[in-house]
Amino acid sequence: MISSVRLKPLNWQPYIAPVKLSEATPEQLEAMKVTPSAKKVSEYVRTLAHDPESYLARTVLFNAIMYVEGGLARPDRELGALGASIVNGCKFCAVVHARRHAELTKSDQVVTALYLDKPEALGQRDAAIYSFARRLSAAPSEATADDIAALRSVGMDDREIIDLIHAISIFGWANRLMHVLGHAESG
Amino acid sequence: MIDAMDKAAGLSPDDALFAARRFRPEFVRGAEECRLSVLHPANDQGLAPNLRVALARRMAALNADPVLVAEYDVQLDQLDPTEQLLAVAQGETALEEPLATIARHADLVTMTPKKAEASDIALLAQAGLSNPQIVALSELIAFVNFQTRVATGLRLMRSA
Repeated sequence: MISSVRLKPLNWQPYIAPVKLSEATPEQLEAMKVTPSAKKVSEYVRTLAHDPESYLARTVLFNAIMYVEGGLARPDRELGALGASIVNGCKFCAVVHARRHAELTKSDQVVTALYLDKPEALGQRDAAIYSFARRLSAAPSEATADDIAALRSVGMDDREIIDLIHAISIFGWANRLMHVLGHAESG
Repeated sequence: MIDAMDKAAGLSPDDALFAARRFRPEFVRGAEECRLSVLHPANDQGLAPNLRVALARRMAALNADPVLVAEYDVQLDQLDPTEQLLAVAQGETALEEPLATIARHADLVTMTPKKAEASDIALLAQAGLSNPQIVALSELIAFVNFQTRVATGLRLMRSA
């Protein structure tokens, strides 16, 4: 038995000046889904609102991948996101999605194993998901047909595997925004 | 209808995986809208589509994805690329500014995102990029890294 890791949320600080709500264009406001009187829009959202078209398109896709009903269980999507975030070095994203995994599973065993770098402590299903997440996140990808076979051997069907591929891949995207355009600080 | 992701993954309508992918119409439509938003946006922020496609080709090569490399080669060919843009696409590093700084950044973030620092964003600003251009470039880089992974994953599913 290993003692559990406590993860506190981090703050994110951008390297460039975010869009000011008072100076935002109607397209930027629409993308951020705020009215000019809104006070609190995160710095992350206001940073990406510099290019409202890509912000809007990605947000719609991101939400579908992480929250759409059915298919792959939510904790499994979070585990894929976490594996990607660890490989890509996005500390902020890793903490957010580690905490979400622990909340959804009401257990911090998986997150503890990963933060202590003891993936051998994972169950078979989590191990297959985490290993695939790491290997697909490498640049270039190191994933092979054996990884897919491992996912199938723990009972995952094609729809679930497609969901997992998307959860890992959208963090190949999100990590490259969050860790590149700013940095995480302890709250 | 076959879309860019089917093409990249080598899927045709007879494949079981083509149908399985459509279990998530949100992902199919969403990925295509994202592709358009970074490669052919209505407002390109001064980063022209041929520069964007040249960079996408460069990053597909870094991700060792010959299918997407070939696809972006075809697209670039139709967009009147300059010698400099062809050099960007081919992964060369001896380039004019700001292309040299932009290409360096795309390489860094594609291959070793973990190593990205504040100074890398400062270099883009020094090369003359505005904040909207820095964000648009970041989204393009990040998208291609998403696209190659979804395509890779789907290809592995076909072969497994």
